[in-house]
Amino acid sequence: MNEFVLIFRNDFQPEVKFSPDEMQAIMQQWQTWMGGMAAQGQLASSGNRLGGDGKTLRPGSVITNGPYAEIKEMISGYIIVNAATIDEAAEIAKGCPILHVGGNVEVRDIVPMG
Amino acid sequence: MLLSKRPENDRHSTKSKNMKEFVMIVRLAELPEVKFSPEDVEPLMNVWETWVDSIIAKNILVSRGNRLGADGRVIKNGILTTNGPYVETKEIIGGYLIIRANSIDEAAEIAKGAPLVGNGTIEVRSIFSDND
Repeated sequence: MNEFVLIFRNDFQPEVKFSPDEMQAIMQQWQTWMGGMAAQGQLASSGNRLGGDGKTLRPGSVITNGPYAEIKEMISGYIIVNAATIDEAAEIAKGCPILHVGGNVEVRDIVPMG
Repeated sequence: MLLSKRPENDRHSTKSKNMKEFVMIVRLAELPEVKFSPEDVEPLMNVWETWVDSIIAKNILVSRGNRLGADGRVIKNGILTTNGPYVETKEIIGGYLIIRANSIDEAAEIAKGAPLVGNGTIEVRSIFSDND
């Protein structure tokens, strides 16, 4: 088994666009998806959901305000899953609720460090 | 050298009430293992680990995070759209770590000390809290 990071991106922060009731429904979808993965031993880490603020450090030590959003999308969070291959991890990613609200999921392998 | 994938939750210090946690995401135009040979990558990783050790010495490292590999998949609209990492303009994510700081500005100042980033960028993001 290997570990893969799933990175979630969207062009908005959900709590800005959705009502509290809609947010609750969305959170339920996430809990169901993550709970299902955990039950099958697929969840290595529940990762983190990232806040809407940010700072971006660019070459020359220039700091700009805001998350990295070169193409209007920003990272909203990430998790780590257990899978035999990156393709299997990609199949798991297809169940992510962010895909229903216009977001996307990037799957990356992890490089072992000493 | 014993290689192992670092667990996400290898927390190095107990939480301080007043400090917050921030994720630093490193983006590069080219990943080191694509740009350099394995022999050349190893000393670079030592440079990185030396910097991380300095963060640990200040008692503000939450997690060493992970270095991400060159392979990738992108899922959009429920289907696989890309074989390869997600490319934001011309940069891809090389890795991330999690530190503790009093403010996001302080975290950004700490990020200035990161080695090896060259012409890449570091994005600093707070970890979501319902109290924000």
